[in-house]
Amino acid sequence: MSDETPKTIDRRKFLTVVGVTGAGAVALSGCSTERVEKLVPYLVQSEDQVPGIPVYYASTCTECAAGCGLHVKTREARAIKLEGNPEHPVNAGTLCARGQAGLQGLYNPDRLAGPMQKDGLGWKSISWDDAIALLASKLAAAGGKVAVLSGAGRGTFDDLLGDWTRGLGGTVVRYQPFDHEPLRLAHQKVFGVDQLPYHDFARAKHIVSFGADFLETWLAPTEQQRGFAESHGFASGTAARHVFIGPRMSLTGMNADEWQAVTPGSEAVLALGMANVILAERSGAPADANGLRATLAPYTPEKAGQAAGIQPAVVQRLAREFASAKPSLAVAGGVNGQHREALELCAAVDLLNYVAGNVGQTVVFGADLAHGDGYAAVEALFARMDQGQVAVALVHEANPLYALPKAGNFAARFAKVPFKVSTALWLDETADACDLILPNLHALERWDDLRPRAGVTGLLQPAMEPVFAGRHTGDVLLQVSKKLGGALGKLSAAPDFKTHLEEAWAQVARKRGHPDAVGFWRDALQHGGLYDPRPTQSVRLAPGARSVSAKGATLDGDGAYVLLPAAGSMLSDGRGANRPWLLEMSDPVTKITWNSWVEVHPDTAQALDVREGEILRLTSPHGTIDAPVYVYAGVIPGALSVPLGWGHTTFGRYASGRGVNALDLIGATDGNGYLPYLSTRVSAVKTGAYRQVAKTEGSNRQLGRGIADAMPLAAARQGLTLKEAYAAAGHPEPHDNPANEVKAIEGFRESVLKKQEHGGYAEAHPKWGMVVDLDKCTGCSACVTACYAENNIPTVGEDDILKGREMTWMRIERYYEGGSDGEPLETRFVPMLCQQCDNAPCEPVCPVYASYHTVDGLNGQVYNRCVGTRYCSNNCPFKVRYFNWYAYAKRAFPEPLNWQLNPDVTVRARGVMEKCTFCVQRIRGAQHEALRQGRALKDGDVVTACQQACPSGAIVFGDVKDPASKVVHAAAASSRGYHVFDELNVRSSITYLAKVTRPVEG
Amino acid sequence: MATTLYEPPATQTHAEVTRDVLATLQAPGRGYYYLLGGALFALSIGLVTFIILLKDGLGHAGYNPPVMWSVYITTFVFWVGIGHAGTLISAILFLFRSPWRTAVYRSTEAMTVFAVMTAGLFPIIHIGRQWVFYWLIPYPNQRYIWPNFKSPLIWDVFAISTYLTVSTTFLVFGLVPDVAAVRDKVRGWRKKVYGMMSFGWKGTDQQWRHYSRAYLYLAAMATPLVLSVHSTVSWDFAMGLVPGWHGTIFAPYFVAGAIYSGVGMVFTLVIPLRKVLHLEHMITDYHFDNLAKLTLLVGTILFYSYSMEYFVSWYSGNTFEQTTYFRRAFGPQWWGGWTMIICNALLSQLLWFKKIRTNLTSLFVLSIFINIGMWFERWVIIESSLSNEFNPWAWGILNPTWADWGILIGSFGWFSMYFLLFFKTFPIVAIQEIKETIPMPRRREAH
Amino acid sequence: MRKVVPGVLGSFAHIDAAAEAIRTLRAQGHRDLTVYSACAQHEIEAALEQKVSPVRVFTLIGGVIGCASGLAMTFWMSLDWPLLVGGKPIATVPPYVVIMFELTVLFGSLITVAAVAGLSLLKPTTGMAYDESFTDDKIGVFVACRPDLQAAVEKILSGAGSVEVRRAA
Repeated sequence: MSDETPKTIDRRKFLTVVGVTGAGAVALSGCSTERVEKLVPYLVQSEDQVPGIPVYYASTCTECAAGCGLHVKTREARAIKLEGNPEHPVNAGTLCARGQAGLQGLYNPDRLAGPMQKDGLGWKSISWDDAIALLASKLAAAGGKVAVLSGAGRGTFDDLLGDWTRGLGGTVVRYQPFDHEPLRLAHQKVFGVDQLPYHDFARAKHIVSFGADFLETWLAPTEQQRGFAESHGFASGTAARHVFIGPRMSLTGMNADEWQAVTPGSEAVLALGMANVILAERSGAPADANGLRATLAPYTPEKAGQAAGIQPAVVQRLAREFASAKPSLAVAGGVNGQHREALELCAAVDLLNYVAGNVGQTVVFGADLAHGDGYAAVEALFARMDQGQVAVALVHEANPLYALPKAGNFAARFAKVPFKVSTALWLDETADACDLILPNLHALERWDDLRPRAGVTGLLQPAMEPVFAGRHTGDVLLQVSKKLGGALGKLSAAPDFKTHLEEAWAQVARKRGHPDAVGFWRDALQHGGLYDPRPTQSVRLAPGARSVSAKGATLDGDGAYVLLPAAGSMLSDGRGANRPWLLEMSDPVTKITWNSWVEVHPDTAQALDVREGEILRLTSPHGTIDAPVYVYAGVIPGALSVPLGWGHTTFGRYASGRGVNALDLIGATDGNGYLPYLSTRVSAVKTGAYRQVAKTEGSNRQLGRGIADAMPLAAARQGLTLKEAYAAAGHPEPHDNPANEVKAIEGFRESVLKKQEHGGYAEAHPKWGMVVDLDKCTGCSACVTACYAENNIPTVGEDDILKGREMTWMRIERYYEGGSDGEPLETRFVPMLCQQCDNAPCEPVCPVYASYHTVDGLNGQVYNRCVGTRYCSNNCPFKVRYFNWYAYAKRAFPEPLNWQLNPDVTVRARGVMEKCTFCVQRIRGAQHEALRQGRALKDGDVVTACQQACPSGAIVFGDVKDPASKVVHAAAASSRGYHVFDELNVRSSITYLAKVTRPVEG
Repeated sequence: MATTLYEPPATQTHAEVTRDVLATLQAPGRGYYYLLGGALFALSIGLVTFIILLKDGLGHAGYNPPVMWSVYITTFVFWVGIGHAGTLISAILFLFRSPWRTAVYRSTEAMTVFAVMTAGLFPIIHIGRQWVFYWLIPYPNQRYIWPNFKSPLIWDVFAISTYLTVSTTFLVFGLVPDVAAVRDKVRGWRKKVYGMMSFGWKGTDQQWRHYSRAYLYLAAMATPLVLSVHSTVSWDFAMGLVPGWHGTIFAPYFVAGAIYSGVGMVFTLVIPLRKVLHLEHMITDYHFDNLAKLTLLVGTILFYSYSMEYFVSWYSGNTFEQTTYFRRAFGPQWWGGWTMIICNALLSQLLWFKKIRTNLTSLFVLSIFINIGMWFERWVIIESSLSNEFNPWAWGILNPTWADWGILIGSFGWFSMYFLLFFKTFPIVAIQEIKETIPMPRRREAH
Repeated sequence: MRKVVPGVLGSFAHIDAAAEAIRTLRAQGHRDLTVYSACAQHEIEAALEQKVSPVRVFTLIGGVIGCASGLAMTFWMSLDWPLLVGGKPIATVPPYVVIMFELTVLFGSLITVAAVAGLSLLKPTTGMAYDESFTDDKIGVFVACRPDLQAAVEKILSGAGSVEVRRAA
């Protein structure tokens, strides 16, 4: 089959084909919601469905507002993996954990099968025709009292929705839980532009984050992480310094070189203080900044330091470091620092950037990142509902009743709307409160487009036939308008939303003077959208800049501790809470899975006399929650941190009743235009109850075993090896064998190598190896999710994780250094996967050769030969072999989640040992392909799943025998290379590049 | 010199020997059936547990990665160890011509066979896919795939199966003349049965000529086997690079431990047996005294081994070793480590006192501690070594569950069932060897 | 009806009597003696001037066969399906010594036992007069001889102190 169309295998060509027959492909692909019992060959072989050959569809991620580009990998017309679109400017081929888990939204077992109507307290399913008729009649009767709450990003659908609602005489409120209002409002105040600018982390030589978690949920994490890795990673030369200022060390804080644990709410004062220092010392501030002198003068280092709880000298140092590096970048905002002075903070940081001359350099306006209408608008909408001014409410891609604090009484106000409609795909809190649910198609099933920011328009195309009988909300809108007729009837000539979309794009083509609209559309479709250079807009200080002031944020309540609600990088605002991958994925900071927790500083824990797992009751003026303790030195003693996104009351089998919702503790008072997450004090009481937290960590100290190794910046600059660096620092090098031993081993090895040359081992083969740059790795765990997706790794659930049975073929080990007696707390991440040792200890102990060495140096594992003695795991120093204790696959993939399974990888039976094999299926695929094309395998043909996903580009993979390969270069280019447990002479194939620490100078 | 040690048993004539030993085969009382019933009940517990494991997977058992071996392997080594005393006493002491073995060796040999039969089950129970355990055997197959002979686990397969075969052969071989003796005393159907089992033994000069010779060579074969089998078992661990396993001392250390546990079990079994079957005049204090001395010897060797393990781990300067042994003594499961040291290294030293050596009650109590201690030794070696290996991130603590205890109980039931059936079916004391030790009457005094 | 070996059976309660009887019989040229005893008796062996049993030869053969087959099996199987494990040579002696040793013991023991069975068959006891007391506390001496010689044999046996003498027709 494949011989007839030799080139279709090339991914690019495929996209071409797919672009051309995109719709056709979907129409033809034989994939239904019923379980396929028999293997039936295609009657009509569709030209782009070659059994066994993947088809990639370009699409766009809708898991957050960043709008990353996707390549949806499908096999036999089923989406099996989400990968980044290399052409897309936002994510450039990488994809974060949340993005990849979009697949589990598509195949979520709790998706609604069709439209549902409230029937008493329960639900009854109705036909689409009835549903639409019902909606139409209600709208007709509403008399313009229609309100729409939409979480959809900007795009053609959003425009249609706007027109539609206007046609009905109603209003649309665009809603995003994490909407960065303070940032936007601050820019309006300081520069007079109401938009979210683009932050160029890649160019920054010095980064200061005032609590902005730009590696987790702030704006566009993948893009920022890529930029951060480029500027901060030692390999790229700049080796920027990153200072994190905030009461809690988030993942972003863990990746900082310096953490200033400041009093919550004092950041604005500190930022102004720094700006003041810079301006006073005239270190390169633009001329018109002088106008700020009066504004900044009151914020002396002493005042700033005193407010923030740090030494004035430190304030000056921070300021000088910031000013001396050109360009530098200061960022603020984001949920973690969203207190009542967040607006002032963001404004202060604007001034800081301005006086340091970063505006226009690393803070670039004009990009205008997508955002909603803000909390104020939402508040207003619910107020109108309360006053009965809304007859029909339509909620689209939003779950306000979960994501807004209970204190705001939103549920009750929402209930006052006579007829409430939701387009949710599953029964989330808001949908459950509605009267009618018209489940939308999942983003991977529908036609759509998104404009995450100016100059970037991503297209969405169906990667497969709908899994459930949902209907595109765009179609619903059009059908309803047709039913209602009148002015609304002329909303769009298009019979369905796809046509509407094509027409919209035809206009774009016309605007751009593109003669062939169809060709334009196809081209865009193939590349996943339109990517224009980022528009820039220079800004000047607005009058408002002079009125920026700060005195420290106020807090509700009189509890002993400040509550720090933390945005998790897995569950985010809670939309990820019903995706087993994200629940099983240990939180990058605490490494806790499947439940929420409360972070307590060791001293606080001592004061409260609690140990890990003991349940604390937190009470604020607004509510009470019980959560198990996690003792964490990364949160200041005066504060307690609780992750957001947990504690759904309904949503699905995985999310419901899991963990607690931190929002229950906070007030809903409008902190002038935004929801102040960090705004309450809580009292903490030990309940005496206990709930073991399901951590994936054994010990968080590496006991000087040199697993996650590091060297100071100075040493790295001199190109010292780890050994030399340790010697220079006067420490003994952790892994060090006596020279004579090493020599003896070498000699022995030579003699043994000859005796190995039998059968295939006598021939020439590649030798696969990997380089992992620990100075780029941020611990974001995108690689882990990618590994789960690529290798059909089952989730085992909380109980088995408590038994240490997680199946993380690839895991991120997070080790702490220091943190006690005055030493700063340092975090090190090390991605731990099978090291594919040459002298693999796991191999010789296997009685049946299930674990053996392949000719190309892989540590192969033959699942159907494995009898499960588990000696291999006992004998593995890295502990990267995982045993299938039950038939995990049966439990982990309830229909239709099992549709996501990768046909190229065995779904392991119970009782066998599993492990990473450098994505051997990808290696063999590439080799066969090269063979078929009659060429040699070339560097870059094989890309492992983890390497592909990594937003930092920390992982390089290739043939170490090929002197031209990137992997060889990466290893050779750096003096920081080392092997974990080298002293055991296992000869691992993975070279880690030591992290570079940047201790505080002076 | 053996003769100087030797005091003849109280029984005087061959006829009395036959009579007394056959008396043990009389119809058992109610108590016996209670015991047998108990054994069968325990066995059924084990069976049910195993069926559940087969159905759902090993997940029920208390495995907490990185601890991938747990109670099953512990108990496996425990039973293999028990086995060794039997062969030691029957083979090695035979070669050393130490006559005190004659009275006890039959029971210990039986114990050996049944212990190994029990042990043999565990590797099968503990593997992930029990139904393909035979893949470990190099059976001819058309796919020409073979096991990995470099794996200590394959060595184990060979060692255990050889050991089971040879010790069974040894037991049966030694039984033949005695079964013949029984045959000639019983009547009816039993005569037929024993007749078949005696393989036509009549005790002619030719038969004795080959028999005694063969017995000698069997003993000579079994002797290195005893030492090798538990060495091989020890290499199941020592071949791994796991800190706490990777020691050259392991083979002798394990053999000593095996004999220690074995003799312990001999006390536990023979002391009550002697009472119930009224063999006081054949199995005398003298025998127990010697057994106790043997226990003292191996116990002291264990003491030395334990000390060496700790010393070497400290002296090596190897952080992995040091951590392992520190946590063995003071880690989260410190009690295991101390149980092993107290029960094995320390309590065995009590046997320096003749009072304790010759007091059956104290010996019996001690033997219970020995059994417990030796089970814990294996538990500690497995648990404390695996739970804190090289990579601290992957550290974990072992928590056994009902599934572990179920199988453990079952194994005791399985063993006891065989032993109970045995000593009511076959002479538990070797008639012919006892007779050899009693000079036959002469008409004239020998000059 | 199985055939009865003609001869005389004497049973002794005293070992020295039995030995003496044997010596006298052998002196008188009666070579076809079968002596029953409940356990191995060195005095009897001496009287019969038995040679050492050849069984050890079989033990040796068994051991050698076992060792050789162990070596052959491990090497052949390793080279027949060559898989590299732990950077060790494909086929190598040290780890295989264990297998070789175990098979040595296994074959050695089994062939020894087989040998005993085989050797005992060389001198079958079927049809020979036998008494159940021989596995208890008596020693039996059976002299196979023509009926016309039986009287003489009886005389010797009872003369030596046999507690009971019986003719097997």
